Order: sequence, then C-alpha cells, then structure tokens
Amino acid sequence: MKINRRVENVWHLIFIITILIMILPVIYAIGMSFKPLHDAYNNVLNIIPIHATLENYITLFDTLPIFRITWNTFIVATVATIFKLITAFLAAYAFVYFSFKGKEILYFLLIGTIFIPFTVTMIPNYLIISNLGMLDNVWGVILPQLADAVGIFLIRQSMKNIPLSLIEVARLDNMSHGRIMKDIVLPLVRPAITSVGIWFFISTWNEFVWPVLILKTTENFTLPLALQMFISSEGGTNFTVAMAVSVITMIIPLILYLSFQKYIIGTFTSSGIK
Amino acid sequence: MKRWLQIALFIILISFLAACNSEAAGNESNEDGKTVIEYWHVNAETQGGQTVTELVEEFNAQSDTVEVVAKYNPDMYKGLMQNMQAEAAAGNSPAVVQIGWAFMDYFSGNFEYTPPQNVIDEHFPDDATFLEDHFLPNVMDLAKNSDGEQVGVPYSLSTPVLYINKDILREAGLDTDGPQTWEEVKEFSEVIKEETGNYGLYFQEPADNWATQALLESNGASFIKDGQAAFASEEGIEAYQFLTDMIVEDETALHIGWDQGVQSFIDGSVAMAYTTIAQRSNIQDNAQFDVAAVESPAWEGKEVKLPAGGAMLAITAQEEEEQKAAWEFMSYLYSVEAMAEWTKGTGYVPPRHDVSEAENGLNTYLEENEMMTPAINQMDGVVPWASFPGNAGLQAEQMLLDLREQLLEGSISPEEGLKTTQDEINALLP
Amino acid sequence: MSSLTAAKGKLHINRENAFGYLLLIPSIIIFAVFTFWPFIYTIYLSFFEWNMISPTKEFVGLKNYTEVLSDPKTYRILGNTFLYIILLLIINCVIPYIFAFVIDLVLRKYKNFYKGALFLPAFISLVVGSILFTWILNPVSGPVAILFNWFGLEIPNWTKAEGWIIVVLSLITSWKVFGYNFILLYASINGISREIIEAARMDNVSLVRIFFQIILPMSSATGIYVFIITIVQSLQYVFTPVKVISQGGPDYASSNLIYHAYHEAFVVYRTGHSAAISIVTMALFLLLLFLEFRYVERGVYYEN
Repeated sequence: MKINRRVENVWHLIFIITILIMILPVIYAIGMSFKPLHDAYNNVLNIIPIHATLENYITLFDTLPIFRITWNTFIVATVATIFKLITAFLAAYAFVYFSFKGKEILYFLLIGTIFIPFTVTMIPNYLIISNLGMLDNVWGVILPQLADAVGIFLIRQSMKNIPLSLIEVARLDNMSHGRIMKDIVLPLVRPAITSVGIWFFISTWNEFVWPVLILKTTENFTLPLALQMFISSEGGTNFTVAMAVSVITMIIPLILYLSFQKYIIGTFTSSGIK
Repeated sequence: MKRWLQIALFIILISFLAACNSEAAGNESNEDGKTVIEYWHVNAETQGGQTVTELVEEFNAQSDTVEVVAKYNPDMYKGLMQNMQAEAAAGNSPAVVQIGWAFMDYFSGNFEYTPPQNVIDEHFPDDATFLEDHFLPNVMDLAKNSDGEQVGVPYSLSTPVLYINKDILREAGLDTDGPQTWEEVKEFSEVIKEETGNYGLYFQEPADNWATQALLESNGASFIKDGQAAFASEEGIEAYQFLTDMIVEDETALHIGWDQGVQSFIDGSVAMAYTTIAQRSNIQDNAQFDVAAVESPAWEGKEVKLPAGGAMLAITAQEEEEQKAAWEFMSYLYSVEAMAEWTKGTGYVPPRHDVSEAENGLNTYLEENEMMTPAINQMDGVVPWASFPGNAGLQAEQMLLDLREQLLEGSISPEEGLKTTQDEINALLP
Repeated sequence: MSSLTAAKGKLHINRENAFGYLLLIPSIIIFAVFTFWPFIYTIYLSFFEWNMISPTKEFVGLKNYTEVLSDPKTYRILGNTFLYIILLLIINCVIPYIFAFVIDLVLRKYKNFYKGALFLPAFISLVVGSILFTWILNPVSGPVAILFNWFGLEIPNWTKAEGWIIVVLSLITSWKVFGYNFILLYASINGISREIIEAARMDNVSLVRIFFQIILPMSSATGIYVFIITIVQSLQYVFTPVKVISQGGPDYASSNLIYHAYHEAFVVYRTGHSAAISIVTMALFLLLLFLEFRYVERGVYYEN
C-alpha cells in the first residue's frame, strides 16, 4: 500500500510545530543562562543572548560547591535506580513464575502504593531516617527509595510475554532459578528494565521535596536543592543563575543518555517492549 | 549479568565512600570541643544568602566555643516551618531559627522555645540590658505573641513601599515624585492607562495578607480586635472595594502572581508596584528606567499603618549549653557591623535603632542607596503583622487568601465576602 | 502411598514457594517500612485532630471524614483531579500513541531527529519547567504575550483564570513527560512483527484500521503501562507546577487531591484532615485500579 505524499507532508508539519513548541523553551533556558539578569528582564524576545556572559556560571561556582553537589545527585540517582531495578526484577520474577498464597492480594497491594500521596509517607519516613541518624546524608535520601511499584509493574508485564514453555524446559533441565533469571529472563526483559530505569533515573535526579527535608548543609545538597537557593519570592528569583543551574542539571542525564543511546535504542528495537 | 553485578558493586562502593565523607551535622560538639549549633534561615542567594554565609563564617572564625552550621530552607518562612514540624516530630530542634511574623502565634503555641532575655539573664549578665538599650520598644513589641510574651528578637524588618517608573509618569504628564495617597494612586493609574496604555499599579499578591493588611489598616480598619477577626468594618470594606475596583472595574491595576508582577514592573509594563522593600536590589539592579521608591501611600487624611514584614530570631535550643551558644551567636548577629552587613545584603531595615547613623554602620550606604530611605523613614508607622491566635490561626490566614482570590476575580462583592469570611474565621478562633 | 506422594508434591510446591517469597523480601521490607507502615499510621491519624507536633491528639472519630466529604471544596478538587487525568491522558497517552504510530509506519524521513527532539525536555525538572513557563507565559511581559500582541491578540491571564490554569499546568507537565511516554510507545510499536503489518498493507487495509486492529492490540501491554504511568503523572507530577506556580489557586481552581493533602498537612497543619483526604484518595484510586485489573488487564495482549 502506498502512503499518500500529502498525508505524509501534513504529518511532517505537525511534527515540526510540536517540536518547535517543545524545544524552544529548552533553547530559551540555555540562552537565558548566558544573559545578564537585567538583559533577561528587558529583552525577553532575544532567545540568543546579544551580550553573552559567563557571569551566571561564575556566580554559581563561587557560591556553591557545584562539583560536589553534582556528584551527590549522581550518587542518589544511580544507587536508587539500580536498587529499584534489582528489587523490582526479583519481585516481578516471583509474581510471574511462582504461585503462592496471597499472590494476587500482595501484587494488588504493592501496585496500589503508586497511588499513595507522598504526604502520607513524608513525616513517618523522616522520623525513621532521623532515628537511623541519616539526616543530612545522601543515604537518608536514598534509603526509602530502594523499591518501586512502577518497576515491578512494568517488568512483570514484560516477563509475562516470555513463553512459559521456555522456562518449563529450563526447569526440566534442572536449571537453577538464578541461572534462569540471568541467562533467559534478564536478556528478554532488558528493554523494560532500560525504559523503567531511565524513568527512575530522571525522576530521582530531579526530585526535590524529600531531599529538602533531609539535607541541610550545602556540601550535601543535590542539584534541585541548589536551584532552590536562587528562587525566592521575597527577594525575587535570580532567573538567569537559576537557568544556569538548570542547564547543569539537564546536561548530565543528557550526556549519559546520548552515550548510551545506541545501546538503549538497540535494546528497544531488537526486541521491543510489549 | 556479571557486568551488571560489577557495575552495581562498584556503585555501592563509591556511594559508601561518599556517605562516609558526608559530614554529620547536628553533633553536640566537634573535635575542637566547640559546641555545634544549627541556624535555620530562609535567605536564598537573591535575598542575602551570601551574607548569611559570610556572617556565619566570620562568627565561627572568632569564636572559641561555638561553631554554627547554617541551613537554608527553601520556600520562605512557610518552608522553614514545614521543616521545623518534621524536626520537632523527630524530637530534634535547631538552636536559632528565623520565624516569620505570620507564624508567630503558631510557633509560640506549638514549639519549645526560650525567650532570649531568659538566656541572657542566666548566662550573660553583661548583656542584661542589651535588648533594652538597642531596640525601640515598639520594635521589640513586634516579637510578642498574642499573650504578650517576648518570643524572640526582631531581626529582619521590611515594609511595603511604592516603586515608581518615573519615565512612565513623565510620559503621562504626572508628578514624578509619585502619588502620596491611595486616592492619587487611583487617579494616576487612570491617567497612565489613558496616556500610555500601560497598567498603573501592581499590588503584590503573595501567599500572605501582608500588603492587604497595610491597605486596610491604614484606612482605619483593624485585622484583629480583642482576639477576633475584625476586618469587615466599614473602612475595611471600603479599602478592599478600592482595590477590586482598580482591578475589575477600571482595569488599571494588574491582577497577577508576585514573580510575574515584579517582572512586569521591571520591564516597564506597569508604572507603579506596591511591594516589599526586600525587592529593592532586584528592582534597582535590573530596571533600565528612572526608578524610585516612595513611602507607602496614605489614605486621604488618615495615618499610615504598616505591618512589619520579615522575621525574628528565636532560640529553640533545648540544652543549656546550646542555648548559651545560641545567644553568643545572636549577640554577634546583632552587633552594629553585622547588622549593617545584613541590611546591605538583604535590603531589610535594621531593627536596632542605632545602626543607620553609626559610622561603622549604614551611614554612607544609605546615602548611596536612596531607595532604602522611604522604608527607614516609615518605620514609625509600623504595627505588628496580624497573626491569628490559636491552632486555627493559619487556617484563618488561608481563608483570607481564598477570599482575596474571589474578590480580585470579581466573583463576590467585598462587603459580602469580608463579612462572611470574618464570621467563618471567628467561628474557628478560640 | 498416595498420601505420601501428595505430601511430597505439596512439599515441593512449598519449597518452590518459599523461594518465591524470598525474592519478594527485599521489596516487601522496603515497602513495609517506608510505605505500608506510614499508611497504616495515616489511617490511625485520620481519626484524630492534631497538628503533628502538639503533645495531645484529640480523638474525633469520623469527624475528619464527614468534614472532608461535606466540604464543597473537596468535590471541586476531585473534579480538578479528574480533569488533570483526562487532559494528561489525551496529551500524554493518546497523542504519543498516534505520533509513535505515524513515525514508525507513515513517515520515511527525519525519524531519528523527531525521536530525539521529542525526548529532550524529559531531562528538565518540573521545577525548572514551572519557573521557565511562568516567565515565558507572563500574560503581560512574557515573549509569547509580546508576539501575540504584534498580531493584536491577547493571552489569557492564565494564573488567575479558572479553567485556563489547569490547562496550562497540564501542558507544562506534559512538556516534560511527553517524550518518555512517546519513546516507550514507539519502541513497542516498532517491535511488532513487520510481516503482519506488511501483509495488511498489501491487502490495502487503511492506516486507521491497521492502528486499531493490529497496532493497538499488539502493543497493549506497553499501552497499559503508559496509561497507568500517565495517571501517576497526572496525580503526583502535577504537584510540582501547582506548588511552584499557583499554590492550588485561584481559590482551589488548580488544586488536585495530592496537592490538597499536602496543603492541609504542611501549610495549615491539619494533619488529621489531610490524612482523611489521603485515605479517601487512596480508596478511590484503589477502586479504579481494581476495575482496571478486572476489566482492562484481561484484554491485554501477551504473547503466550
């Protein structure tokens, strides 16, 4: 069947408009981070700065230990993501390949946690972290985030797609569960793990409500907290420095994504997540 | 799998290393035997954050006994209160905190604190008359709760001023000294809209009722009378009607969020902005027109009454050692030099009466920054920020905010709205 | 004899099951400590009037619930909550589905560029997105307002206008999450066996029919994931722009149930009230989840 040229062109137009809407604010933010603040206020239409300056970045590096902060953020996001994936993989495996008492209810309960407002968990979790002596410590931020229902949900769905016969044959060959996981299941659910992993990484990387409560000294801050230091209702927001923080915050996940892009896209297209 | 495992192990290793070298704050004393205390503040980098860091560093360098760790709390006094709640629930507390005036009653009713004078009397006989000597009684009164107890010591003081864009006023053929009364503000705005097409006024709309209180009480209304809400008096309704008329009827005033309103003033879309003196450096540094600040307008023939904005410092340290350390730190912050630094960094009005004139204080600074002058001049008219008593106090404040949204949308008349809300609030209050 | 084998069989199953439980232990511990226990505690708190720090909690029975359920604000906010969900489902589930389908099967050029460009905003935090759009969409001074002005148009005063505020906050949230949902759906559609699609094309089956009869059913497992995650986004992610831009205003017009629970707990410190809102929210969504399990999950396509 031939696809109508005209239809195709209309779609190109739609995509280009959508992409402009999505990309322009990003370029605007980057442009702002190189503008003096008064210029940002008075020439809002200039996306590309006329008098480009590094002033905002210099202010940022002068006032905050930004390398340290970036490192903290990296630790939080990486450790939380890896643990969430491990716990979710194990749990999904149990839900798919074992039948035990209360399985359905347990699954339902775990998935139900997706809808628990974080206000419910905030204070009790704070008390636990405080009792563990983990306040003002990146581990205090990480600890409650070692498991996640969204991960269990997606990985379980992906596992259900693996033909059961494959696992049965392996069991008949007396293959251990450890080896089944490693050699059969893991490679097949890699796309699901990758996609939910990206989700986890980006969300923990940008999280701010919980770390605000736990972290106190600037040396232990994460990047979203650094951003908060330039936002103030009463004194006014230093918009351009805030955008410089944003650019730094955005750049690292972006670099990570681009360097793994081949691998990620490869994972997706070789098997697809279904 | 093996590779994954290796990566995982590697990450775990480095994160443990990271965790080990992250400092644990909140210890009672550090290796030099200094008492370590926490100081909680709300000063973002645009609002004196750098000054806080410098003052704390200077203090730590000169003190042999105390080490202060400063913690920044985002989202102003509300955000600090939220963090205090969590900390108190966990049984901890910082030593020195900034408490916004609106939270005065809630704070004093729910948190453990020690009045500063008690700490002074116990440990610092030399400072016995420090507060009396250096603070005016009406300023100290700002930090008293509704039971009349001295909860803390005023630290950051702000008042609302009227910022004016002289270029627009000139273009509209108006007096570039700006309006003196609210009636004039309205007339000015009409002329500005007619002549230049710009908005006349932006009246700040943050998540509090500070500026509204200034408007209503200057007209002779009072927010709270004998522990009851009393804003729905004739004067109160008249004042609110004035504001809603400008926004809804005349469309000469802008109804918009705080950040956006200030943005629109700085880029020259609005001729006058009624907002806090704490915005001074933001406005002064970024406006590219002939900008000035004038004193808060009065109502024709009436006296200006301005609620103090800002915060006090309160001592929440539980142990004696820490309380002692807390005052040592506070007395440093209240020294003339530190106060002067504080004013320069934040734009707040110094609460100590002798700082403005002192040679080592703000003398030359004020000459160079004319925009500070109106805020300092109008300190005589300062009244306490209305803080509703009891546990429902914050809820009452919220109801007034909800009312503001309804009124400025024009969905309800000021008379009806103020009366209903007043009754609802009084039903809540003890 | 037969009872022995039966016992043995049972034993075998039990050992197997024990391993199943073992695999669940890490997740269960984390959830038990950091989610279930706080949740049970919240149920308990919902029967008290308390502000989290005062030494006395006053037992009020069901008062918090009756107050929440009789407050017209609650229904207003409930309505907003569903409005957010519907808007985000359209923008972040339906549209990316169509986009993914078009990029995979209709377009021949620039596919990679589109994919990359749509994903880019996913890396920006919503806090940044919120302050950025507050600036860009300032109805008087923002660049968009100025551009509109050139054409004699005005943009609505969206931060203060009921209705508009929800639309704009939804768009800001979508700006960030759109790309992620899109990439997932694209990967899923791209993974569908080409032979079936080609065969359908040979038979001159229309694109619309291909979409509904082949693509949609065969990618439905990812579809469900994106569906669920979009609901999560419209509940939990919307919180950030609400908090940064509107604080639920004007007069609760942009508040959703999650933000309202936050507002009650951390702005006016009515812990019991907030707990009751959280429990009602939970109950409502568990019911929806249950229905999803009963009726939707059944129709999901799994390869075996």
